[in-house]
Amino acid sequence: MLPVRQAFLIAYMTGILWLRRNPISLVFTAISPFSLLFVLYVATDGAAVHFAVAGSLVMALVGYGLALGQDISFYKTEYKIQDVFVASPVSPLTYMMGLALSELLFGLPALIVLAGLVVSFGGSLLSIPLLIATILLIWGSMSSMGFFLSSHMLHMRNATQIISFVNVVLAVLPPVFYSIDIVPDALRPLAYALPTTHASLMLQYIIGETPIPADWSLGFGFAVQAAYLIGFVILARTRAIWRES
Amino acid sequence: MLAIDAVGVTKKYKGSRMLALSDISLKVESGKVFTLLGRNGAGKTTFVRICATQLTPSSGTIKVLGHDILQNASEIRNLVSIVPQEGRPLRALTPWDHVYNWLKIRGEGSSSAREKTEDILRKLELYEARNRPAMNLSGGMKQKILVAMAMATKAQLLFLDEPTIGLDPVSRRQVWSAIKQWKSNGGSILLTTHYMDEAEILSDYIVIIDKGKIVAEGTIQELRRIIPQNMRVDVSKDGLDVNSLSSYGSVVDTGGGMLRVFTFESAARELSELAIRHNVSFTVSPVTLDDVFVHLIGQTIDKGDTNGVGQNERN
Repeated sequence: MLPVRQAFLIAYMTGILWLRRNPISLVFTAISPFSLLFVLYVATDGAAVHFAVAGSLVMALVGYGLALGQDISFYKTEYKIQDVFVASPVSPLTYMMGLALSELLFGLPALIVLAGLVVSFGGSLLSIPLLIATILLIWGSMSSMGFFLSSHMLHMRNATQIISFVNVVLAVLPPVFYSIDIVPDALRPLAYALPTTHASLMLQYIIGETPIPADWSLGFGFAVQAAYLIGFVILARTRAIWRES
Repeated sequence: MLAIDAVGVTKKYKGSRMLALSDISLKVESGKVFTLLGRNGAGKTTFVRICATQLTPSSGTIKVLGHDILQNASEIRNLVSIVPQEGRPLRALTPWDHVYNWLKIRGEGSSSAREKTEDILRKLELYEARNRPAMNLSGGMKQKILVAMAMATKAQLLFLDEPTIGLDPVSRRQVWSAIKQWKSNGGSILLTTHYMDEAEILSDYIVIIDKGKIVAEGTIQELRRIIPQNMRVDVSKDGLDVNSLSSYGSVVDTGGGMLRVFTFESAARELSELAIRHNVSFTVSPVTLDDVFVHLIGQTIDKGDTNGVGQNERN
């Protein structure tokens, strides 16, 4: 029970207390996921809105997950707060969970709006559990990846650069904002190897307005995302640098 | 039981050709303030971080409160607390937020956490500022928040890595008072500091460390006896025959155009008269811990170079 309490307290300190004193930062964090949605909506005259909504939600989750890495780097290199946590009864996974929850708080308004759009396009309340599962899977795996990556960074600048790069690789290049049908056959296995492709396809499945590829299924999407989540949690637990060597 | 029992601890950072710590062995008794004294890069922080389970040694063994740092790190983490070097509190959080929530994270109940938070904030004179975000506090008050977080816990061993850096004299004394009280309650402290007066006032035992090696250790009295003379004369190099000064006692170049001569009272008087005759500035005072440091290391602590091998080099 204590680790859960610890994680919520860390989220409370770094999320709620911060937001209470800097509510404006909630507005900034909430607006950014809508930038590509806006561009795609305008550029395609609304034709690509379903892809744009699915893509924006995936991109937002990738962003919030990876932003955890930036926060962790900041707390580690600038504030030395991580040193205080390492020499305490708080485990690395609890620390990661607390900061990941804190990031989620910052993104909550945008996530609620985007998730609401997905449900409204899909028109089915039955799809809500599937939507929540998709959100949790991608957020969990990205947060673990952010934690793992940031723990290896000695400088804040490295963390920002690498996390931006990973963001492009996971949320821009794969078929997250566009149909996987556009991807040449030779590159499809590569696209299917990324969890964000499956997250977007699952959201497209919920929305139901675009045809789902014949070589993809919900089970396949779940399996790949679950594998990434488990893999990155293991990586965060065993290979992230908590105690330095 | 020993608070820390270190045997043959060596640390070499990846990519560094030098040893940050070289075969360090020391024993820290429980209920005492144990001080590591040294220049920047001497290896103090590296040793503290290894003991606090933040860093692994390259070789050697350390037991903290009876637990091996490699085998039983989680047991140790329940029993220790740390003020990291150059740490900073979170900008938007108040002193109360930091201490109260930190105590709850460490498992304290709400009422106990509230009581302890109030107590430590009053002790460190942070209570009046308890609801002001850290970003609106002075550097010294920010540093005191970190000290308060560590000292409010029920840890048995505190690691204080230069805890009073940047504090004004009054705030330093508040921290000293809290440290003394912590000790009087049976707690142990491993302290690193640049301040000789702090080391003299607080320490039960001091280890002087340089370039990763222990160069001297003992109580204040024992360390003072390293210098056989009881007086020091600081004299300007200008206009004096430097070689002739060695006939008065042992001479150390402290930089800045000054020489320090360790001597006895009668010779100090003669040397003063010589300085007056040559119209050069001089000061006379009893031997201090700083003198022991200069005697051993050859430089004052403030003039220490930063080309050492410790944590600072890596950052």
